[in-house]
Amino acid sequence: MRRILLTTALVLSACGDQGSDGTLNYYFSYDPRSLDPALSTDVPTGEVVSLLFDNLTQFDADAQLKPGLARSWETDAAGRTYTFHLRQDATFHDGRPIKAQDVRASMLRALAPGSTGGRNWPLYPIQGARSYSAGEGKEVPGIVVRGDSTLILTLEEPLNVFPKLLAMPVAAIVPTPTPSDFDQRPIGSGPWKFVSWSHDDAIVLTKNEGYWGGAPKADSLRIRIIPEPLTQAAEYEAGQLSVVEVPLGETRRWEQGHANELQRRPGLKDLYVAINTTRGPLKDVRVRRALNHAVDVPTLLATVMSDRGVLAAGAVPPGILGYDSTRAPYGYDPAKARQLLSEAGHPNGFSIRLWRTQRAELARLAQSIQQNLAEVGIRAEIVERDASSARAAVRNGEADLFLTDWWADYPDPENFNYPLFHSRNKGPGGNYAFLSNASLDSMILRARATTDEAEKGRLSREIDARVFDLAPWIFLWFPVDVWASQRDVQGWRFPLVFTGQRWMEAERTR
Amino acid sequence: MSRFILTRLALLVPTLLGVLMVTFLLLYVAPGDPVQAMVGERADAETLARLRAELRLDDPLYRQFGHYVGGVIRGDLGTSYITRRPIVNDLLERFPATLRLAGAAMLFAAVIGISVGIYGAWRPGTWTDRVATFVAYLGISFPVYWVGLILILVFAVHLRWLPPSGSANPVYLILPAITLGMRSIAFLSRMTRAAMQEVLQSDFIRTARAKGLSQSRVVLSHGFRNALLPVVTVLGLDFGSYLTGSILTETIFSWPGVGRYVLTAIDKRDLPAIQGSILFLSLVFVLVNLLTDLLYARVDPRVAYD
Repeated sequence: MRRILLTTALVLSACGDQGSDGTLNYYFSYDPRSLDPALSTDVPTGEVVSLLFDNLTQFDADAQLKPGLARSWETDAAGRTYTFHLRQDATFHDGRPIKAQDVRASMLRALAPGSTGGRNWPLYPIQGARSYSAGEGKEVPGIVVRGDSTLILTLEEPLNVFPKLLAMPVAAIVPTPTPSDFDQRPIGSGPWKFVSWSHDDAIVLTKNEGYWGGAPKADSLRIRIIPEPLTQAAEYEAGQLSVVEVPLGETRRWEQGHANELQRRPGLKDLYVAINTTRGPLKDVRVRRALNHAVDVPTLLATVMSDRGVLAAGAVPPGILGYDSTRAPYGYDPAKARQLLSEAGHPNGFSIRLWRTQRAELARLAQSIQQNLAEVGIRAEIVERDASSARAAVRNGEADLFLTDWWADYPDPENFNYPLFHSRNKGPGGNYAFLSNASLDSMILRARATTDEAEKGRLSREIDARVFDLAPWIFLWFPVDVWASQRDVQGWRFPLVFTGQRWMEAERTR
Repeated sequence: MSRFILTRLALLVPTLLGVLMVTFLLLYVAPGDPVQAMVGERADAETLARLRAELRLDDPLYRQFGHYVGGVIRGDLGTSYITRRPIVNDLLERFPATLRLAGAAMLFAAVIGISVGIYGAWRPGTWTDRVATFVAYLGISFPVYWVGLILILVFAVHLRWLPPSGSANPVYLILPAITLGMRSIAFLSRMTRAAMQEVLQSDFIRTARAKGLSQSRVVLSHGFRNALLPVVTVLGLDFGSYLTGSILTETIFSWPGVGRYVLTAIDKRDLPAIQGSILFLSLVFVLVNLLTDLLYARVDPRVAYD
């Protein structure tokens, strides 16, 4: 009997084996929308596009901008015209060489009206791109091809962050015309080639031996779709995943049990409560500052988030130009909060609604904030909705407070200041506080346009200080990411931006 | 019999039309906006308006409904807003996985549940019967979510006998099938036990025993055969609900079935995908019910449908 049990166990274990030593196992929480760069509006699609395709520029795991298909580029004195010089040794996976004309065709394809991509904004700065996308123009005059290896992009207005925008998935280069099943069986030019995609189950990629940047060290990459965080962790502990994000509630246990496997670093992210500056008492800056003093942020961070964060005194996180480590947070001071409320004409507080999505970690956080606010007389009712409903309501300006987060797409202060605080982006654009401040707007635009890096740094620091002063958010913290990688996995770091890890150096050493 | 089947199939049309109408109206009044879910962060009002127009979301309700019903009549459940793939393809790709899981769960539950039930009726009050009764209650009481995670922790993480999640080969079925089947084991064993106890008191059982038949023959051939009707009812209902609602089990075990597809569609406000899934699952449910009714007639000759 024992022998039968043992044999069964051995057979079952063998069935559970996830592949040879040359295979790395990664995961997404949900199935990508598509494998077509033009439809890359979600993180899994963006990540897999960055493995299969190339862009003119790209990021590494530390979010440093690197040359991609463009081996170099220069800009004119005004910062409005960019000239890209393409490398000539790059080919698509089907062997065709990549030429400047392919870059133009890829951009036009992504921008084409009816593409229903919905995330073309990285290409909109190009002259004529927006009207082409709206179906109003037949051409994009800002894209000019010179021979096989030179591309000149002219922008509507100077924009220093533009090369970083070109590293976004929607700007990936595809072989046009694309076949009808391109979204299911893509042909790219990136370090990994497509093998198979079983929806909601797994995507399998194999290394591109002829990649211009050198072939990846591992033979293949298997990306499982695993929606439940605790199952993700179990898969890792059972040795079936090469890397995993440590679930929030499990942080302390993993710090003890997997200490040597953990990687911990602040992500380019904000966790915050957006304060709608156009609603009732929240119009008054004194009230918004009072909210900041009312919430005991350090205690929340320690108790609810296992200290996975760096206290925020602004919106620009550490590691980004413009971050100022000398500025102190508002600080927990209920007496000062009450005093500010009195000065603003609300000695007895007021009623307010705090919106949040159904993410589990936000539930306890919202309750703690509610309790803190109650202590200074602000009666906050928590409104819990699914992400889509909450987002729709918040973007329509129906929410007083919204507990949410922001992840940088690219490492630049512009990725925080412009979408989150410029009046042009009120609502859907990302400015959930509906902040509208003329001098701030003007500073943000100047910081976007300048070609002087020192000037940009100075302006960004000023902008962040001004934002902090205007208190359009309850500033909470910059989340710290904690990931684990198996002991036999070398050369992998979790990336600061979602397209920054292309699994080139990662390999299993056993 | 064939007339009965034809009538029931004809009734499918108004049933599904009703489902379609209610789903359509509910989704129309529900909060949330598919376009907002599509574009992710950093959208602008023009893009939102353009996408809304492209997806015909600006059309009046009756026109949207007419357009949709027209498609359904032609066998076209529409195209997903999010993936841009035909919904029929998405569903047909995932349904075999759901069928495999539901089938395995049902088989597991039937074998264990019915055996435990028969044993309990045959030897009531013994310690084995009591333990089985207790375990059955546990099966009903514990939430699927908890059971699933505990099974993963014990059999995949600690013992490493089974894979934690996924669907690569039949071994991957074991843990999700047990998790999904737990509740049915409990119901089936209780139902079988009660029905068998009643049957074992009948006169014909006494006659069978008096004839000198063996105990197992009496219990299985004479007793169980006559206790089958309620058992088939539970099997049919549970199988129907497994085929249409194993969302939690599919999520915990990363099982690529229809349940997760529906959940993602709801999350993204992918209206055609939600409508198509509900319509498809309603059809499956009604057909399973019809099959169950037909099984009654096979099991009990006294049931006739003419």
